[in-house]
Amino acid sequence: MVDKYKEIFDEFSGEAGDLIPILQKIQNKCGYISDDAIRSISPFLRISDNQIYGVASFYSQFRFTEPGRNSIKVCMGTACHMKGGHILGEAVERELKVKPGQTTEDKRFDFQRVACLGCCALAPVVQINNDIRSRMTVIRLKQLLDKYE
Amino acid sequence: MTIPRKMIDLNMDNQPLRAEADATILKVAEANGIYIPTLCAHKDLTPFGGCRLCIVEVEGMRGFPTACTTPVTDGMTIRTNTSQLQAIRTEILQLILSEHPCSCLICDEQDECKEFNATIRKAAVTTGCRYCSNDGQCELADVVKWLGIKEINYPISYRYLPVEKDDPFYDRDYNLCILCGRCVRMCQEIRMADTLAFKQRGQRTIIGPAYSRTHLEAGCEFCGACVSVCPTGALSEKTSKWQGKAESEAVTTCALCGVGCQLNLQIRDNKVINVLPAEDHLINNGQLCVKGRFCIPELVNNHKRLRRPRYFHGGIEEQLSLEKAIEIAAGKLSHCPPEQFGMIISSNCTNEDLYVAQKFVRTVMDSNNIDTMSRVSYGSAFGAYLNLMNKCTTMEDLRKASAIICIGLDTRFGQSVVGVELRKAGKRGAKIITINPRPHNLTVVADKWLQPETGQEAGLIDKLAKLMEIGANKSKGVKRPAASKGIRAELAEAIGILCEAESVVILVGSDVIQYRGSSDIFESIDKLAQTLQAGVMLLPAQNNLYGSLMMGTYPEILPGGYSSTDKARLNHFAKLWGSELSDSNLSWNAESVARGREIKVLYLLGEIPLKSRPAADFVIFQNIYAPDFFNPEELVIPSAAFTEVDGTFINGEGRLQKVRKAVDPPANVFPDWKILSLIAQKMEKKGFEYLSSEDIRIEISRVIMGFHNSDESLRPILPFKSEFHLSAVSEGEMVNFKSKGQKPFLLQTRVAEHTYRGFTLSAFVDGMKAISDENVLEINPDDAKELGLSCDDEAIVKSEEFEKIWPVKITPQQPARMLRVTLSPGDFSGHNPYPVKIRKNNV
Repeated sequence: MVDKYKEIFDEFSGEAGDLIPILQKIQNKCGYISDDAIRSISPFLRISDNQIYGVASFYSQFRFTEPGRNSIKVCMGTACHMKGGHILGEAVERELKVKPGQTTEDKRFDFQRVACLGCCALAPVVQINNDIRSRMTVIRLKQLLDKYE
Repeated sequence: MTIPRKMIDLNMDNQPLRAEADATILKVAEANGIYIPTLCAHKDLTPFGGCRLCIVEVEGMRGFPTACTTPVTDGMTIRTNTSQLQAIRTEILQLILSEHPCSCLICDEQDECKEFNATIRKAAVTTGCRYCSNDGQCELADVVKWLGIKEINYPISYRYLPVEKDDPFYDRDYNLCILCGRCVRMCQEIRMADTLAFKQRGQRTIIGPAYSRTHLEAGCEFCGACVSVCPTGALSEKTSKWQGKAESEAVTTCALCGVGCQLNLQIRDNKVINVLPAEDHLINNGQLCVKGRFCIPELVNNHKRLRRPRYFHGGIEEQLSLEKAIEIAAGKLSHCPPEQFGMIISSNCTNEDLYVAQKFVRTVMDSNNIDTMSRVSYGSAFGAYLNLMNKCTTMEDLRKASAIICIGLDTRFGQSVVGVELRKAGKRGAKIITINPRPHNLTVVADKWLQPETGQEAGLIDKLAKLMEIGANKSKGVKRPAASKGIRAELAEAIGILCEAESVVILVGSDVIQYRGSSDIFESIDKLAQTLQAGVMLLPAQNNLYGSLMMGTYPEILPGGYSSTDKARLNHFAKLWGSELSDSNLSWNAESVARGREIKVLYLLGEIPLKSRPAADFVIFQNIYAPDFFNPEELVIPSAAFTEVDGTFINGEGRLQKVRKAVDPPANVFPDWKILSLIAQKMEKKGFEYLSSEDIRIEISRVIMGFHNSDESLRPILPFKSEFHLSAVSEGEMVNFKSKGQKPFLLQTRVAEHTYRGFTLSAFVDGMKAISDENVLEINPDDAKELGLSCDDEAIVKSEEFEKIWPVKITPQQPARMLRVTLSPGDFSGHNPYPVKIRKNNV
């Protein structure tokens, strides 16, 4: 269990201030912060896992669920919201049976709501992996999801 | 010598004040009787500035600084109560209340409600329209009242969080939480237990341990410090939550372990409803462990308490008056020859009880047959353990030590007050070494964890002592052995730590008392302590073990620690007590009971030596609860618990501490010394005319110097005298582990340590069932898998001597091929560890 993160730990001296850089490296490597990861950081930095989780959950940059093979980001920014972004969000929730921040059981998709993707003129916007899908509708979104495995 | 702090002048609400330079505005205001409302500040915690209610106006400062975080400066002009401040505070508090169910705080009918239950149509009669049990104790309500808030101008939002009731001892309703952070700071700063943390942020912020673990899984010590500081009803004790506000308090000494914490008993309607820690700089410093904080009300108010004497004879049970019971006891005892009598007394009794008991046995019964169960639970190591008491050190030394060695100590539930001191020591730079075969709660705190194999602790400590000795002889300190792997390298590091340390304290926990061969461990500890010139702190599970030795409740020991075969001493006591004393018949002790030696009358005073009825023609059983066994020829006499008596205890340091009567015992229930005195008087013996425990104390002070002290605040350390020699307890053989091929399973039995008067706390306190592992078989997950055992299974454990069935508990901490079970004292004797065969019980 420890070996998995040993490489990362080796770069640090084990002070309390190393926590966030370690969390970031682990997220880069594994894609998310697992319970396991928190449990291994705890003896290394001598901070309780409760405190580590407290710090990590404060920052939205850290995620605690395993990412899916594909990631869906539904924009909930002002423009997208006005154009029905939340309806797209609900459609994803119903279709894939996931809540924001979760991953589907078959690990095919993870689903997140984001604040703004920076292309408000194309609202409502959905980002699947690295592709921006503009002027999205529920029907097109459902067809689109079938293309991803 | 402390340097006087710089004093400065300032002006607060048009009052000129003088204050210390580094104090905060809030502290200065409090010291001068100026009220500034606050919900997040607490005297023991660092300023937080979370609730924003303590805002003040300071001339020359922009905005409204918070009084709890702003230090005073020379010439500062502060206003704490302007109309603008009140308006802002009202607004802030309304925002807080918009997320806190508050009809009980701002309702128009509030006053009528309390008196006439006017709102019963809206809510249950039993609770009124309350969201929590904190009525009369809610700090939020105080501030609401002070600000005169009558309505809330914000939309009310309820968080709909499920109330968390799964953990033992306290409930959590985070819908009531105002996120003041007192519990989190308590857990992190003061207890350093790090169970609680803020999780998420913004609107979704919530308090709790990592992931969605329960507190039990997250390593909570259940010290209750968070509950004590909660200003709302979000955290509440399960047992005392609906009991209301205490009417009075009493400071007394805890009877649940040898640390001897000072308790602040909360009393209402002549009942102990809750227990809070007392401010006490000598020992617990405002901290308690789960036993002291949560177990006492359930223990002493239990419906199973004995209230009337019972007499079993010829298959008939009879309830009697106390007079009749004493008559029967006196009758039975006056016909009992000295060598046919035996008394086992609990080391949870007060010194006064212990003294009167041994005097009773020695003068009335003309016998020396009095003993405690410690002899059996410490086994052959008892002598070596008592020997270590000569090296006793105090909490004060622990607070100053630069290195601390913990041997077989786990401070999660028992002795958690010492655990807090250890973590504090770690923070101030002291080095901590822990020696324990199992992973335990100190591994995170310790700088070095030496992990011997089970049963090999003595060898490891010996080695450590030897290497240190070599080091001490060399002027340049220890030459570290060349870096090698394994235990040698670990030892080298430990020695490195110890060589640099100026003062060392050795703490001895109860995990090393489990073997029959543990006298070796104590002898090694003795050697190590000598080499290091270290003080030893024994942390006995029996709260008044020291007292029982000083009072002489052992066949071999007279009061004051003198040997009972010492003719001169015997004559001295004979003169003092006005009675002939016998120096013979030292052959009976608590072990004889465990081995089933038959005697005529066995007097069990606050102790249960066996699970079944001990072998005796007649048993007098005097305790706060009834025994499990009901048999012919038995007299059961109820007695008072430690919250109901005056007296003294001597803790593990040797400190003499007061026990104060907080509540009355149940009607016609008396302290142990009183019952014994009544029996003695019935038997027409002189010397038992005590009117109060004070009389007994005066008599004891004739034997033990410094015992009686009229000044209650003094808690002197009594020097330990050991002029006696204990007769050895027979010992089972240690098993040789080194066999070829796969190791056999070894069963290790340990004695339950969370007990009071012979009863395990878990039998009477609900929450203790969840945290203590009594009568379950602890097994490593890999071994369990191999044997096909899962959590709900039972296992049959068989050795040459016994066959037992226990439920299985899978414990990752358990070393491979080792099984562990915690039993009540006297449940087993013989080999330990036992080589056993184990299989699943197929029902």
